[in-house]
Amino acid sequence: MRSIGEYLRLYFMIEAQYIKGRMQYRADFIISSIGMFFSSLATLGIFWVIFESVPDLAGWSLMEMVFIYAFYMIAISPMQILFDHAWQLRFHIQQGTFLKYYFRPLNMMFYYMSEIFDLKGLTQLAVGIVLLVYASLQLNLDWTLIRIALLFITLFSAALVQISIVVIASCASFWVLDSYPVLGLAWKLREFSPYPMTIFDGAFRFAFTFIIPIGFVSFYPSQLFLRPQDVSSLIYFSPVIGIGLFALTYWVWTKGVNSYTGTGS
Amino acid sequence: MSLIHVKDLSKHFKILNRREGLGGAFRDLFSGDFRTVEAVAGISFDIDAGEIVGYIGPNGAGKSTTIKMMTGILKPSGGLIEINGLVPYENRIRQAQIMGVVFGQRTQLWWDLPVIESFKILKEIYKVDQKTFDEHMDMFNELVGLKELYSQQVRTLSLGQRMLCDITASFLHNPQIVFLDEPTIGLDISVKAKMRTIIKELNRTRNTTIILTTHDLGDVEALCNRIIIIDKGKILYDGDIKKVNALFGAYRTLKLQIDQFNETTLQTLNDKLTEKFGTDHGITISENEESWTDVTIDQARTPLSEVLNHLMTNFTVMDVRIVEISMENVVRKVYDGALT
Ligand SMILES: Nc1ncnc2c1ncn2[C@@H]1O[C@H](COP(=O)(O)OP(=O)(O)OP(=O)(O)O)[C@@H](O)[C@H]1O
Ligand SMILES: [Mg+2]
Repeated sequence: MRSIGEYLRLYFMIEAQYIKGRMQYRADFIISSIGMFFSSLATLGIFWVIFESVPDLAGWSLMEMVFIYAFYMIAISPMQILFDHAWQLRFHIQQGTFLKYYFRPLNMMFYYMSEIFDLKGLTQLAVGIVLLVYASLQLNLDWTLIRIALLFITLFSAALVQISIVVIASCASFWVLDSYPVLGLAWKLREFSPYPMTIFDGAFRFAFTFIIPIGFVSFYPSQLFLRPQDVSSLIYFSPVIGIGLFALTYWVWTKGVNSYTGTGS
Repeated sequence: MSLIHVKDLSKHFKILNRREGLGGAFRDLFSGDFRTVEAVAGISFDIDAGEIVGYIGPNGAGKSTTIKMMTGILKPSGGLIEINGLVPYENRIRQAQIMGVVFGQRTQLWWDLPVIESFKILKEIYKVDQKTFDEHMDMFNELVGLKELYSQQVRTLSLGQRMLCDITASFLHNPQIVFLDEPTIGLDISVKAKMRTIIKELNRTRNTTIILTTHDLGDVEALCNRIIIIDKGKILYDGDIKKVNALFGAYRTLKLQIDQFNETTLQTLNDKLTEKFGTDHGITISENEESWTDVTIDQARTPLSEVLNHLMTNFTVMDVRIVEISMENVVRKVYDGALT
């Protein structure tokens, strides 16, 4: 067995080379980063339009919404940057190119995901950080050391939730021929994450909290910093949910990998 | 104890008649609409360290499926595989360390990386020490001139260059066994020759065991000391190459394009040949695509030149080609008892 340290070393080695290789396509990097930048801002535009007509959204002010959105952007960045290869799993499975991931003495999820490091996700991360700082200044949030620690813990858990949703959805292609609808669903659901779960009615709110817990990608943890006085105790489960969901995802992935029969060749 | 031990190995694929879309996918989960393909139907063999085994058979025979089971990707439906006494499917990571695998034209190198960086990453993955690494790289360079490709991105390599890189890469960590599934497909003669050199040389110097599948009988003749012929998931022949070599060597196929070819031509051909060479002429005739006729001749029994002469005088032959026996015909001959 290889230690975590060895895996990290290997990861840095692969990504350093990967980034060097990608940098040869500088235009591709610049254009996709600009695209990412503007698509990040598009949602802010939607907020602005909404708040033109209403003073608050289910009791949340514009700046609070910006905070929730910023939290969301940071939380989905690890998925975007480190797990981007998940979206292509269905092509590898269909075309039989998935076979090669079995041949190295490595953890397969590690090996598979290490093959792509999505640089444009860094833009998203940067925009998220800037917005988070900006919103907390505007809101006069009080950042104690404990709060900062909580921020890291909740962001970590939220990132795990987002990664799990996407990876589980991509694993559908191990069993179904056309997994696009499942992936499409995961992609669409992302768009609901930066909204207060309180705007959804009972069934949806229940689903977004307990079934596909996108509420934990941003809204519930954000409350901890925006309205610490009235958070639901649910939020203290967020690390459990993050880690639990990722464990489930890893289990599904392993099942998929073991049941994959490949294409004839 | 042998290095690879395979006993009564079988693999069935249950094929679901799948439906489209999300609804279809959902219904598939509960569907019982299966069809079974018996890809490998009970095979047994033992392979010792240092052997080069040609694993051959026609399309769909079950070769790749066997290799996928030996490399630990697929779980056998029945029977046993042990490599160094371990079951591959249950010890994938450990087994991967002592194996090298190349599957046809699918590269296992990093697409965006220069060739040399791929090799360096492999060095890290397999924990190859610097001395062994340098030695191997020098050797690969000597054998196939790898150095010229070092700085080139894998995606920019030609098929032949990439295959050479893939093959050499599969030997980098000094594996005990290398599985090569159709490594020469789509390659020209000179690259094929280089490929054969590497395989031979590494087998000779490192005693690497090699399992090779190919449709090119030239590869088999050049490399293997033993061949296993498989068809429809069953082993037809397992043994010395010499016997089979005689078979490959003795048979030639005459491909003829005969003027005014019709339904009765094959019969007439057969009659004419029997007339001249008797009933025991050992010649098989079969129709090929677009009015081409294959006449396969056992030269040990009937000289090719005489058959050709005879056919030319009796039919209007518009075009003719002489080729080595094909894999399909070898298998047919084996079924007909050519090796017993
Ligand atoms: N993943 C799969 N699912 C269903 N059937 C499969 C699968 N893989 C292979 N088969 C079937 O199993 C049989 C053996 O296939 P295999 O790929 O082992 O043949 P092969 O001997 O490698 O042939 P070729 O020379 O064409 O590569 C074929 O009938 C094939 O259709
Ligand atoms: Mg095959």
